[in-house]
Amino acid sequence: MKVSVDEELVRKLESLALISLSPEERREIVKDLSRILDFFNKIDEINLEDVEPMFHPLSQGRLRKDQPRDPLPRDEAIKNAKKKKDGYIIGPSTTGG
Amino acid sequence: MIKDIINDLSSGNLSPEDYVRRSFERIERVEGRVRAFITLRKEEEVLNDVKASLRGKGKLSGVLIAIKDNISTNGIRTTCASKMLEDYVPPYDATVIRRLKEEGAVILGKTNMDEFAMGSTTETSYFGPTRNPWDLTRTPGGSSGGSASAIAAGFVEIALGSDTGGSIRTPASFTSIFGLKPSYGTVSRYGLVAYANSLEQIGPMARNGEDLALLFSIIAGPDDRDATTIDYAPQGGAINIPVKGVRVGILTDLLEASDKAVSSTITGFVDKMVSEGAIAEETKLGLVDYVLPTYYIIAMSEASSNLARYDGVRYGYNSLVEGNWREVYSKNRGEGFGREVKRRILLGSVYPECWLLRAILH
Repeated sequence: MKVSVDEELVRKLESLALISLSPEERREIVKDLSRILDFFNKIDEINLEDVEPMFHPLSQGRLRKDQPRDPLPRDEAIKNAKKKKDGYIIGPSTTGG
Repeated sequence: MIKDIINDLSSGNLSPEDYVRRSFERIERVEGRVRAFITLRKEEEVLNDVKASLRGKGKLSGVLIAIKDNISTNGIRTTCASKMLEDYVPPYDATVIRRLKEEGAVILGKTNMDEFAMGSTTETSYFGPTRNPWDLTRTPGGSSGGSASAIAAGFVEIALGSDTGGSIRTPASFTSIFGLKPSYGTVSRYGLVAYANSLEQIGPMARNGEDLALLFSIIAGPDDRDATTIDYAPQGGAINIPVKGVRVGILTDLLEASDKAVSSTITGFVDKMVSEGAIAEETKLGLVDYVLPTYYIIAMSEASSNLARYDGVRYGYNSLVEGNWREVYSKNRGEGFGREVKRRILLGSVYPECWLLRAILH
């Protein structure tokens, strides 16, 4: 599968991944991307028509009983947040963008 | 060996003061050049913990251990070698840490690694590279290079690493110690900072096979907090297995792709096993050229999704800019992540779905 790599694609990825790059980083990534995508194209060579997908290495999971456990105390849970007030974390504005 | 340290400590042949001092003396002498640790605990705190631990009877009572810095330790910062988590202090212990503490192990410090375990040389760390104690001009391998170097430099006898695509095995090999990537599901990942969760495992690193088996037996086993763990509990010990009659498969396609020095070392070892009665048979793994692209596609897609949690708001690097959530998150992530991490997240966002599906099929 051929994806053409240019600055526009990288800007789209930045917006998908919510990472803003400096112009210099963006130029570097443009260079890297096409090289790495060519490398990935290698798996197109294999015929996988009759192969069952394996979505996870284990076929079944271990589930615990659906019972609540004691949560972290509030102050412990938010101690790593940089902006907080009265036991709440202050987040950025969710309007716009 | 751990067995000897425990015997010496419990019989009084070795005082906790001398044991801890010996380790710190070694660190004072060479750590400036090796740089195995991101966070080293204070000697006094470590000594107090060792003394307290010696009052119990655990399988690792009083024994010092180094922990890779992507494994959560309650009250000790856990950075993943990233600016993003430079001052992050977990409010809980990973399951493996809880199990180690129950057996009396004492954490000496948190070891350097490639940022978010993305690399195989320990050079992408925000805190700078770790060097190989055997030759300071060389890499110890990675991403668990700090743990490997801490053992090779004589700071500790045992350490924990994590392995997604070779991150325990490569540094163990480069520093001439022992390391194991356990089969998926045998060791709980609860508290391991996620990179590529369907591939990675926490694993033991040690100076010899017996200590490796002991450490593995302590950290392995099912865990209610990790739905992917299986019912398997290794017993430890019994590592002197006679090779007579054991069938050994030689993967010729891997040998052919190896450097001559590597393949001749392996061939020499196989000859030695055969001379002691092992049966060597050649076989092919097949499709080896497709392994690396397949690994990268799975790892980067998972990384892209796992690292979406770092927005800098609840924890982690916060640029303190004002703006709407898209601007703030993008700035925090753009400044908080290093180059390799950003590269992998962006690459993991590029694959059309069918590529990921093809990688899974493979």
